[in-house]
Amino acid sequence: MKLSTIKGYMLKEFTELWRTRLILMVFLMPSMVLLLFGYGMRMEVNHARLLIIDNDQSVYSSELISKFEHTKYFNTTLAQISEKEALHLIKQAKIDAIVIIPSSFEKRLLHGQRSEIALFVDGAFPTRATTVESYIQATVLSAVSDVAGKRKLTPKGVITINQRTLFNQAMRDEDAIVPGLIGLVLLVAPAILAALLIVKEKEKGTIFNFYASALSKGEFLLAKLLPVFLLHSLNIFILFLWAVYLFKVPFRGSFALYWFTSELYILISLSIGMLISVITKRQIVAVVLTVVVTILPGFLYSGMLMPISSMKAESYIEAHLFPVMYYNHILYDTFLIGQGLASDKIIYYLFILVGFFILLFTLGRVLLKKEMS
Amino acid sequence: MSTLELKDVTVLYKKHIGIKSASFAAKSGEIIGFIGADGSGKSSLMHAIAGVIRFLGEISYKGTAYHSPKEAEKIKEYIALMPQGIGLVLYDTLSVGEHLDFFADIRNIKKDAKFKEYREKLLHMAGLSRFIDREARNLSGGMMQKLSLICTLLHRPKLLILDEPTTGVDPLSRLELWEILDSIRREEGTVILVSTAYMQEAAKMDRVLLFDDGEIIANGTTAELIDSIRPYVYKEDVCQSKSCLSFNKKSYSLENLNGAHSEPTLEGLFFVNALKTSKTLPKIERLERSQKVDLPEVVMEARDICKYFGGFIANEEIDMQLKRGEILGLLGANGAGKTTFIKMLLGLYPIDKGELTLLGKSIRSGKDRQSLKSKIGYVSQHFALYKDMTVRENLIYFANMHKIPLAVAIERIERYSQELGFARYMDELPTSLPLGVNQRFSIAAALLHEPVILFLDEPTSGVDAIARAQFWEILQKLKEEWGISILITTHYMSEAEYCDRVVLLKEGKKIADDTLEQLYSTHPNAKSFEDIFLSFYREKQG
Amino acid sequence: MHTFLNVLGKELLSFFRSVMLVVVVLYSFTLDIYVAGEGIELKPRNVAVGYVDRSGGGMSQKILAKLRTPDFREPKRFLSQKALSQAIFNKEIMVGIVFGSDFEKNYRAGKKAQIDMLLDATAASQSLTTLFYLQNIVADFQSFNLPLRIKSHKLFNQNADNHSFMALTEMLSLITMLVVILTAIVFVKEKEEGTWDIMLLMPVNPKITILAKSFSQVLIVMMGVVLALGFVLFWKFNIPLNGSFWAFMLLTFLYAFSSAGIGLFVAAVSKDVMQVAQLSIIIMMPLIFLSGAWTPIYAMNPLFQILSLFSPLRYYIEGSESIFYRGTDFIDLLPYFGGVLILGVLLYWYGFQKIGKLF
Repeated sequence: MKLSTIKGYMLKEFTELWRTRLILMVFLMPSMVLLLFGYGMRMEVNHARLLIIDNDQSVYSSELISKFEHTKYFNTTLAQISEKEALHLIKQAKIDAIVIIPSSFEKRLLHGQRSEIALFVDGAFPTRATTVESYIQATVLSAVSDVAGKRKLTPKGVITINQRTLFNQAMRDEDAIVPGLIGLVLLVAPAILAALLIVKEKEKGTIFNFYASALSKGEFLLAKLLPVFLLHSLNIFILFLWAVYLFKVPFRGSFALYWFTSELYILISLSIGMLISVITKRQIVAVVLTVVVTILPGFLYSGMLMPISSMKAESYIEAHLFPVMYYNHILYDTFLIGQGLASDKIIYYLFILVGFFILLFTLGRVLLKKEMS
Repeated sequence: MSTLELKDVTVLYKKHIGIKSASFAAKSGEIIGFIGADGSGKSSLMHAIAGVIRFLGEISYKGTAYHSPKEAEKIKEYIALMPQGIGLVLYDTLSVGEHLDFFADIRNIKKDAKFKEYREKLLHMAGLSRFIDREARNLSGGMMQKLSLICTLLHRPKLLILDEPTTGVDPLSRLELWEILDSIRREEGTVILVSTAYMQEAAKMDRVLLFDDGEIIANGTTAELIDSIRPYVYKEDVCQSKSCLSFNKKSYSLENLNGAHSEPTLEGLFFVNALKTSKTLPKIERLERSQKVDLPEVVMEARDICKYFGGFIANEEIDMQLKRGEILGLLGANGAGKTTFIKMLLGLYPIDKGELTLLGKSIRSGKDRQSLKSKIGYVSQHFALYKDMTVRENLIYFANMHKIPLAVAIERIERYSQELGFARYMDELPTSLPLGVNQRFSIAAALLHEPVILFLDEPTSGVDAIARAQFWEILQKLKEEWGISILITTHYMSEAEYCDRVVLLKEGKKIADDTLEQLYSTHPNAKSFEDIFLSFYREKQG
Repeated sequence: MHTFLNVLGKELLSFFRSVMLVVVVLYSFTLDIYVAGEGIELKPRNVAVGYVDRSGGGMSQKILAKLRTPDFREPKRFLSQKALSQAIFNKEIMVGIVFGSDFEKNYRAGKKAQIDMLLDATAASQSLTTLFYLQNIVADFQSFNLPLRIKSHKLFNQNADNHSFMALTEMLSLITMLVVILTAIVFVKEKEEGTWDIMLLMPVNPKITILAKSFSQVLIVMMGVVLALGFVLFWKFNIPLNGSFWAFMLLTFLYAFSSAGIGLFVAAVSKDVMQVAQLSIIIMMPLIFLSGAWTPIYAMNPLFQILSLFSPLRYYIEGSESIFYRGTDFIDLLPYFGGVLILGVLLYWYGFQKIGKLF
């Protein structure tokens, strides 16, 4: 290892990054993705357009309606139209759900006679439909239980749920998604940059300067990967600031742990990029390939879309084969939970991440040949 | 004792052989030239020697033998490789000075007073002292090559491998490059391997290796090689049989012809080898045309034409005339503005200043060109044709675009494929064909609609000597039998021989414009066109 | 017309000869859509539940028995509340339920019986939905005692089959992406391979060349759509088709032209395929973002709601959903056709002008 050689090569890399304006992409892309997805991905259903047809116009029915009017989940409208007209509105995609309160709803309830509330949900977007359906059912049932409880309409006791939401009391989508996005970005971006820096020289032909010189493989890799590592280390801080100050995600754990794990994760990512640069010759192919191999696991096994614990057997195993899951576990812990190193699992996961880095880096180093292919 | 020795070196690619069992030896201070067409194996061998590609066989340098790139690591501090391609090893956005620093760093050179002195010397030799702060992308082709060369010389290599360092470079820079090489080998005792596309440069080499189709076909000094073919070279008029090649006032035949012999040239080696291996493209006998050509006296007239790219002047006040039935050669190094000029004539670039008249029609807007498009044929650099269509499909597509009735088109395509000798390649993709065949069928594509003017942009670049010679014959036939006017660009100064008139461009300016006879009569001491153009370059240098 | 067909034929031929592109398009319209439909699951399934039961069984077990697959996993028993919380912290389970020792007693005595529930809300939407599920289950118990039924109809897609929907959405996004990129590549490839000049020198009307070139790519994507519909959506995922097939094809065709317009614009300003990729992503991200594919438009920030009016994908997605699921009459589809048509004409015209300047 000749330090002056590595320094000289790195200086060249930085000069090039600066003059080709690629440095802009290095810092713009991660933040752009965080902002776009952070604002754009909303799993919860807010302001669903609900139409209530109240055929009873009684005290009970208006109590029920006011329950709907006082939640952020619905934008409620009342209308006296026929069922057919209402259904047509759904067909035109103007409303998402209809609740029809039958006539003599109150009277029958008081007399202990069966009555039936009709609920129509637009099922075109199934997950949204299921969510809206459960919201409505829960709202109706809790309203009726309230009434029933107050008037002693039932013989037995009333079961209530005392729910304690951990880690994300307000159930904000931002808290759930933004840390996962950091995990995604820090997997994709360093890998792309690392692959690009190497493949660019292959495409242009300047790789001959490395092939034909006495520069060793280790020196070359260090000179190529260290700038990626340093630049993206800055992104660790930038993304943190966006998350905490813009998206107001709480940060309950240790910053040192977040920082250390993220640096480790960047090392894994750039090892992936290095592996890709081994098998590609053109920049465009390198970018596409990196995106394909990193984005899908980055999303699927992030825990963002689906908690790892609820995965089916195969995907549960697959999730364990990618570094994303381990990093995200620690990431969510530092943001929302805050156990830190007190948890054995986190220490165990840290070791796994170190293992990933050693494995991928060694593989890349061995496969990268100092010769034309 | 030999410093460098190769034994049976073979380079294999996935689909073809790069170079087959090459063996030779070189002494220190020797300049060895590699001569041959694109794809003849020069680069493969150079890559093997430089230890950047896997090979079979053994190479030894000063007693250290190596059989793979890995083993070659130990000698890499003594060698330097400058691969083919102008500015290939340069970084666009780095300046001249930054390049020197970078190469010093990766070669781990101490930046002491001695180094600074050497650096200054190299910069001075290359004439780059004034351009220390200029970014590589803003250098001319010649400057780029000189910069690449001094970058590879920084660590004082003992084995210097240069792959076509002079291709496309202006004659003056070429001369300077050779001067640098000469002084290096004298001062440092360096072994220099250099490949070139220019036969004239062979004179500057101690020994020449001739490459053809993955093999070294001859090895010796220029004089030895020329002597070796003496018996096969005759004066032009004696050639009658089929097994005889005739070109540029000389004929080549393996059989003994009862005619006067002629002084052979190095180029002749390729013709003789082609005869020995019977690997030539068929000769062109005739070319038919259905429409009569009726041209005005002056086919194209450009006056004060200028083109700017941002602050960069690509063409400056160029006057040019193309006359009826003439072959006009537009010569110049890479980046001299030849392509830019042709593109303006064709309307591919807007003309920034000046006047253009084509076929008697003054061109002011795109509309003026519409009716002329069917009268112009164009072959672009690197024979740009659709890569995922076969030769036949390409030609049918072009015929359809020119609205030639299908029956006529098919008949014409069939005829050209016979006449230009590519009939057996009709159903193959252009990428799988030799460059020489591509060259022929691109010209067929440009001739399908029977144009009256032909614009050719570097059609001979990278093509082997024989294909080039035959290509010029085609042009000659077109001129004689069709009577059309041809404007052709080339960076081979020697090809001026085949033109009726030549225009020489340098850095966007016209520095010469005359007929062949005139040029020779004003430069009585010139041995070749290279010399004539060199004198023009020198004149304009100040 | 002759020229148009000639260029069209040439582009189709070129496309089918370039293995890379064919593989990408085939993959996108089959496997990719299949994976998207099969793989991504947003509603809570297989939720891992743990519980601590000190009530002595009975009522608590009845409630737990209601937590059934596929929504929930078999609830896992923990001996102490501490062990339960630790499991949540380690993300081994998502929901913890605690039945206190007086739960059964209170319930039988007609008093308020309380269940304590711990929820890991790092996955906010799943936990929220899970909470509602549990509330419904508990409420169901009470409603045995209440004379009330909710009769729920999920219209158009009775069993909330998410697969066909995700696959459809993926196909619609793919159409956008492929038309933009393919159209841009058809032109940029000529620039890269140096045939651009040859193309310009042909004695034909450049308008016809541009039209034929972009039409050829629209045609290729339409073929892909037919493939995806047949093999993936209808055959594999059994997507309902409550509206008219031809209405969908027409809408797709019109939409493809608005994407082709973007492709022409991208082609006009890019030098190589690398730039096409960069630019397409930068343009398409907001387009998809504003289309309602991820976030329902009504849940967006009001500013974005206005901006979404300019995303042709919005009309296309809503229109396609209406055709497949809602079975909307043609008359009621007109707004979507209108939106796609107007934006399509504008975008295509703009792209056409932009690239036309290069001819």
